[in-house]
Amino acid sequence: MADSVQRNAAAKSGSSQTIRELLVYALPYSRLFIGVIALVIVYNLTQVIQPYLVKIAIDRYLLVRNAVLAPLVEIGVVYLGITLIGLLANLFQTRVIASAGQQVVRQIRIDLFSHIESLSMAFFESHDTGRLITNVASDTTRISQFFTQFLLSVIRDGLTIVLVMGAMLILNWKLGLLSALVIPVIVAISLVFRPHLHKIYSTTRSRQSRLIGFIAENLTGMRIIQVFHQEKKQLGAFNHLNLPYQNANVNEFRWDVFFNRSFDLLGNMSVAFMAWAGGMAVFHHSIKIGVLYAFISYIQQFFEPINSLTQNWNTLQSSMISAERVSAVLATPPLLLDPPAPLSPDSVTGRIEFDHVGFAYDPARPILRDINVTIAPGQFIGIAGETGAGKSTLISLLARFYDVTSGAIRIDHVDIRDMRQEDLHRWVAVVQQEVNLYSGSIADNIRLFRSEISDTQVKEAGRITGADDFIRRLPQGYQTWLTPHGANLSAGQRQLLAFARTIVLDPKILVLDEATANLDAVSEIAVQRGLMEVAKNRTTIVIAHRLSTIRFSDCIYVLDKGRVVESGTHEQLITGRGYYAEMLQKSSLAQHAEIT
Amino acid sequence: MGQKLIRHFFRDHLGQYLMAIVTIGLSKVLQVQIPRIIGNFIDQFRAGITPLMIERFAAEIALVSIGYVALFGVGQFTVGKLARLFEGDLRRRLFGHWEYLESHYFEQHTVGDLLSHVLNDVPAIRQALAGGINQTLQAVFLFTATLVMTITDINVSLTLVSLIPLLLIPAVVVKLGPKIRRQSRVVQETLSAMAGMTEESLQSIRLVKSTGNEPVESQRFTAKVDTIYENSMRLVRLNTTFQALIPLLTGISFAIALVYGGALTLDHRITIGSFVAFTVYLSMLVRPLMQFGNVINIFQNSSASLLRIETLLQAEPQITDPENPHAVPVHGPIVFHDLTFTYPEGSEPVLRHISLTVPEGSTLGIVGRTGAGKSTLSRLLLRELDPPPGTLTIGGVDIRDVARADLRESVTYVPQDGFLFSSSIGQNIAFPVEREDPAQILQAAHDANILATVQTMPEGFDTVVGEHGLTLSGGQRQRVAIARALIKSHSRIVILDDSLSAVDGKTESTILDALQALHDKGRTLIITSHRLSSLRLADHIVVLDGGEIAEYGTPAQLLRNNGFYARLYAIQSQGSENHG
Repeated sequence: MADSVQRNAAAKSGSSQTIRELLVYALPYSRLFIGVIALVIVYNLTQVIQPYLVKIAIDRYLLVRNAVLAPLVEIGVVYLGITLIGLLANLFQTRVIASAGQQVVRQIRIDLFSHIESLSMAFFESHDTGRLITNVASDTTRISQFFTQFLLSVIRDGLTIVLVMGAMLILNWKLGLLSALVIPVIVAISLVFRPHLHKIYSTTRSRQSRLIGFIAENLTGMRIIQVFHQEKKQLGAFNHLNLPYQNANVNEFRWDVFFNRSFDLLGNMSVAFMAWAGGMAVFHHSIKIGVLYAFISYIQQFFEPINSLTQNWNTLQSSMISAERVSAVLATPPLLLDPPAPLSPDSVTGRIEFDHVGFAYDPARPILRDINVTIAPGQFIGIAGETGAGKSTLISLLARFYDVTSGAIRIDHVDIRDMRQEDLHRWVAVVQQEVNLYSGSIADNIRLFRSEISDTQVKEAGRITGADDFIRRLPQGYQTWLTPHGANLSAGQRQLLAFARTIVLDPKILVLDEATANLDAVSEIAVQRGLMEVAKNRTTIVIAHRLSTIRFSDCIYVLDKGRVVESGTHEQLITGRGYYAEMLQKSSLAQHAEIT
Repeated sequence: MGQKLIRHFFRDHLGQYLMAIVTIGLSKVLQVQIPRIIGNFIDQFRAGITPLMIERFAAEIALVSIGYVALFGVGQFTVGKLARLFEGDLRRRLFGHWEYLESHYFEQHTVGDLLSHVLNDVPAIRQALAGGINQTLQAVFLFTATLVMTITDINVSLTLVSLIPLLLIPAVVVKLGPKIRRQSRVVQETLSAMAGMTEESLQSIRLVKSTGNEPVESQRFTAKVDTIYENSMRLVRLNTTFQALIPLLTGISFAIALVYGGALTLDHRITIGSFVAFTVYLSMLVRPLMQFGNVINIFQNSSASLLRIETLLQAEPQITDPENPHAVPVHGPIVFHDLTFTYPEGSEPVLRHISLTVPEGSTLGIVGRTGAGKSTLSRLLLRELDPPPGTLTIGGVDIRDVARADLRESVTYVPQDGFLFSSSIGQNIAFPVEREDPAQILQAAHDANILATVQTMPEGFDTVVGEHGLTLSGGQRQRVAIARALIKSHSRIVILDDSLSAVDGKTESTILDALQALHDKGRTLIITSHRLSSLRLADHIVVLDGGEIAEYGTPAQLLRNNGFYARLYAIQSQGSENHG
């Protein structure tokens, strides 16, 4: 019990902290907000004045002897003028606040995205990408609702209630206080209904997403259903999800109708109540008939704003949760910082030195141990070893996705930790096993959307790597549109695109996580040829999964359990009959030994 | 079809619909009594009133509103409920129809397109049946009742003159409503474009970081965010205009009523009570007039959806079962008789003059580069595609003369992509069979060399496969798909469509051993691959090139031929040639 109280208190202080963080973003617009409040007051006043004008018309000009038409016309004109002023005020305040809110969210989104991009690789390995996308897309949208819906509602609806109440009290304070009784009733009904409605909505939504997920999956796998002739089974499973969703839908509608009609009834009942209470007051001559009219109009004006406020209370809560998530991400510092005084040579030759390099996430289980390798500029180096030997980690260290735990990695005698990361990444390019594609043209995929890289350079890169051959056969050539998940390119073609990327970026050091496992023989030859072109004039390190790729390396390093166990050329290593020779034998056995 | 469905639905639920019409009609008649009561009430003050009368007036308002709210709620709920029942039924029909259509249809439509029928079209029709009908009923009844009240009880000319500005309301709704809807869809699209870009960028985060491309990515993101801003503001402008126009028209109408109604009161042509009642009636007219506009929009929107659904439900599969199907022979070879096949929408044949006999119980390997026609061959055998008559027989019977259900009982299949459902591994393996028999599942898993892997999982066969099998590695997924095919132990023909490409050499070898066992039991095996190691069981190998048989023979014969097969063999064994 005490524990939960404490937690609540913590949550509360957390949310007020979050509100403050949100408001920092809104600070540049504080003047606009003041303007908005002024406009809202104008709008609300016009709304309150309207029934009052009718009251004046009734009491002063209609219920008197020898009344004339002229003042009535004046009131009509004033009424119209006030309506117009109110509308304009409302129009402007909504637009201004929406614009300010949208700009705030625009800034939050940009900051959030740039911040996420600046975080270290370790962060991405421990955080689900899907969650981060939700942060950027949905959470920021919910935060925007704080500005565009919640703030507006608090100002507008809050003021409406205050002004209506004020008008009632001025007209007749006793009757005004009596009318105020309706407020707690409305609030109570909202508070009872809302959480229940909320629960019902979320049931419907979760059932819907389950059903849609099912349909999507079954449409994707329709072949399998048909080939195995299981249409009836799947239709049964479909019904099993469809019926509950349908029932949830009906139930949701039932409660919607119930809620809205309750409000409706309450509105009419308060009119009846006002007719009775106000009628009695008129009877006792404490108010005039016009006042009664005004009261009947005013009491109905309570409903809309209170309903809207309770609705926006939910908005506030969901924006707060989203804001907390977003600020948690924004508060995550990038792990790897640039040195205060970076040593970045203007150009490098591509000499790499691993000097007693060790790495471990967990000190008890080192992943790399005492790696000592020196690579001369322009060499072609192969790294072999079984899955888990530490090959990929070695690359990650060189690209400085992580920092070494002991020893140092130097490029041209400069420790990479003393360089700006930006510079390091200009010298070192990593081509991964899985080639990422962007939705965009092939040309943009090669130049990674960098405007300083010209079409000519892109085509030149295509030509050098041999990617040109397949690109030119595509209907739109270099302008062909790619999608990240689209299967419009084969694995081999993707690999060639990645090589072309490397050519336009022109790094001095190329690290390649080889991916030939899924290539058919014809593509494999093309990829090999592309690789040889890219490797020219660069220090190239290839992590081999198939040993055939690195047969012609200047030197092959064989890793086992985080250590270099052998090194030498292919020929040296197979005559040594060591670990490498053993691996080669195993892989060739699996490849095709039985075919002969 | 769709319209007929709706007509039938109306007819089947006629009683409930009539009840809804009556209750909503009555409720609106009651609703319009309230301003009249208030008007009379106010008039009564001038005529002289007692506290008892005041109480009676108040009670009258209360009772009438209870009646109105109750009747309206019942009617509204009935219509809405029926629409949701129709919606559920329509979804079921759609799904059933999709199951009935052949793979050709699914190649022409993306899953996203098909889902949008469920996500957009079906709810649009539901909306017409629920909101559309409800609002029509409300609007018609309330508008008529209000007009009747103001004309008979108050004053014809006052009613007509004050109504003029209000009559523009439906026009405003019809003009701006669709624009707002379109714009809000644009906003949604720009939002999902931003989400898409974020996803793309985060999935390529290694690439971004290793190329130092963060600033470029932020720039691209900013461009997306700016589009969102512009489109959102356009939506806000449309919305605020709309929200200002309606009260403006109402305000004008109200001002007219104030002046003209006031003048009539001064002339004693209407009472002060009628004047007050009229102002209330006027505000009651705004809603039905907006609803008239809404209803037009809803029906317009849904008629397009209805048309799309109709087209979908009318789509018929091009492959049909014969009227008097033959049984699938248990024995006999599979024979291709000079088969040339062109896809319905294609111009060039993908298979040309294929003549080939696969003896019962033998194993055929099919090799060829991507696009050579390997998969088409297996799809013809499953009759997902229709071969020309007489070109493909099993045991002498044209496969066009057997029922597809029977054919697919005797042929079992492992797809290239290893598609699995996101249910448990056990359920996936047992997918082709009626009842889940643990012993059978165990046997199939064992044969596919996945049993040991499954047993190391904490939940064993109950482990739920993540969406599209993502929690399993490619090789594991493929082996579950193989187990799924093998559980159909009575199937005489097993087709593996390039199913072994994602498994490593050792696993491949053990699966092939299991297949060898099937082979020994007399099954006919057809194995497609671009990796020769997968074809070690093959008695015969056919090399496809450009849709034609380039080479055919036993593996040893083909090696001697020095053709494509021999070249491929040389390339794929390169990694070890020095060693050997």
